[in-house]
Amino acid sequence: MVQFAILDWIWIILFLLLMIGCGVLFFNLGKRSEADFFLAGRGLPWWLPASSVYATHTAVDTPMWVAGVIYRHGLAGIWYAFFSAWCAISAFVSTRIFRRSLAYTQAEWQSLRFCGLGSELLRGWMSGWQVFMAMFNMGWVGIAMGMVCQYLFGWPTWMGLVIFSSICAIYVLTAGYWGVVMADFQQGIVAFSAILIVSISGVMVAGGPHEIVAKLSDMGQSWRLNPFHFTGWFSGDFPIAWFMTMMVIALIGGFGMGTSIDWYLEAQRIQSARTVRDASYSIWWGTALVIIRNSLWAAAVLGFFVLFPNIQETSEYEMGWFRMGFDYLPVGMLGFFFAAILAIHLSTVSSVLNMGAMYATRDLYHHYVNPEASQEKLVWVGRISTLLILVFSFALGLMMTEITKWLIFALWIMAAGVWLPNILQVIWWRFNAWGYLSAWIANLGLSWLVVWILPAFGVLPALPDYLQFWALMLLTSLVYLPVTFITKPEDMDHLVRYYVMSRPIGFWGPVRREAERRGLLDEISHLGAAADEN
Amino acid sequence: MPLIRRTWTPAAADEWAREDWIAIVLSPLAYIALAVGVVLSFLLLKIGFIILGVAIVLTVLMHWVIDPKLKTVSQDYEKKQKSYLEALEKIIRWEEMK
Repeated sequence: MVQFAILDWIWIILFLLLMIGCGVLFFNLGKRSEADFFLAGRGLPWWLPASSVYATHTAVDTPMWVAGVIYRHGLAGIWYAFFSAWCAISAFVSTRIFRRSLAYTQAEWQSLRFCGLGSELLRGWMSGWQVFMAMFNMGWVGIAMGMVCQYLFGWPTWMGLVIFSSICAIYVLTAGYWGVVMADFQQGIVAFSAILIVSISGVMVAGGPHEIVAKLSDMGQSWRLNPFHFTGWFSGDFPIAWFMTMMVIALIGGFGMGTSIDWYLEAQRIQSARTVRDASYSIWWGTALVIIRNSLWAAAVLGFFVLFPNIQETSEYEMGWFRMGFDYLPVGMLGFFFAAILAIHLSTVSSVLNMGAMYATRDLYHHYVNPEASQEKLVWVGRISTLLILVFSFALGLMMTEITKWLIFALWIMAAGVWLPNILQVIWWRFNAWGYLSAWIANLGLSWLVVWILPAFGVLPALPDYLQFWALMLLTSLVYLPVTFITKPEDMDHLVRYYVMSRPIGFWGPVRREAERRGLLDEISHLGAAADEN
Repeated sequence: MPLIRRTWTPAAADEWAREDWIAIVLSPLAYIALAVGVVLSFLLLKIGFIILGVAIVLTVLMHWVIDPKLKTVSQDYEKKQKSYLEALEKIIRWEEMK
């Protein structure tokens, strides 16, 4: 347990007052309309959603995870945390396309891209899944906060889960996304400052940068300083094949939408930016901060390794960065560090809470239950959805230790077999709603077979992660490609309208020619050519 | 025609052009250099500062290439946004569903 001085408690109380104050301050803006409650009126300059991208993706469990991979793999472990780099290409491709669609959610985008019954089935499925995922994510990060509070104060885990998520809900309920994004900005600054301070302090405690390098050399562990130290092409616990697979998943995934589970949160930030340019820069710079943050953590964890090189227990070395803060920061700074942990926690919880409520309100209630609902009613439905998601997330969080393994598996299957369909829906006009739906269904069945059932019966060897990914991608394509070609393309009127509005990248030749034939691009092309001559 | 186009018409900016592809290539390289450069610089290794320098150059170059195009796309799109938003509200109310 850690002892806090009065100054520490002052830090914490001041910070909480600041956060809740945001809700009161932006209450009037948040209640104006559905677009205000969920997208801040689509009017934010790039740096606000950028800070929200950064703050949201810095959760309480993130430093534990990064500490784990760096402690095990040395600096090469930073590539495990590099999945956020899907934004590198997305910022200039799928972000631009999604922002032009103006869809509130990914589920809504799919009803612009696809049409008919298939599109409605997709919208219903996607929104239901995202509401569930919001509860799951909140339960996940909430229970991580519960564990931190147990470590610090000896509280039972449910207390840390319930108390801080409930405090966060105050400003999400009152001001919606306005409260979320304004609080994220402050939380982002507090969290980044603390990460910088603790990482510098951690490196200094280990003797300073030169000493860490020297000690690693003395220990015969210099390989830990090489970010490209792998265990072979296909062998060992971190082969080049896995690194290359992670790079492909992250970077090429940027051409698609939904290739990373983070997409659904980023989509909200993209739509809240005031222009296409602001959307692109918000995603790019928010992620750049995430990458810098990972590197700061990595340096501190190397320092932790030098101090404690023989820890075998995963749960122990995963707390490495937290220990560098709580064990070595001076009295008075502990409160600041805990306030930063609260910032990290609240920013994630608030964003997920508001996003889940958006799917429940926009896609389920507004689209299916009450299409004629007034703006006032929609804001209230947003608030009630927020509250329900919060309560259910507590229940999920408390079950987490039992179900985590299964749900991590569910996340993995969500990523592998539908990774390519998530790209195809953006870049290929002929890919239709039935192809996309069949990919989800096929992936669900095949992933159980490939990852669990066939290896259990000895039909298939247990495959390493990278082979699981490629196998699932290939096997799923054997289902969705025939389904796509057997079923009709989407209605050409619908596709032309989507094309003119979003101007997607990739293989859209027939749709573009139809748009030109209808004269929808003629005037534009003429103007463009004239300007080129000038 | 210059290698990197710095002035755009709305129509030309709407098309996917060489400048987009340059940004698509530079952006991941900048992230990779940033990840490696920051951690090695933090450990005061000379190679870290060099890689961090490369990351900064790549980032500046990427913005220099893509920013004029993004500005033009944004300005043009804002004019159309109102009518697109009206269409979106019709879809959610099932007025334009097939």
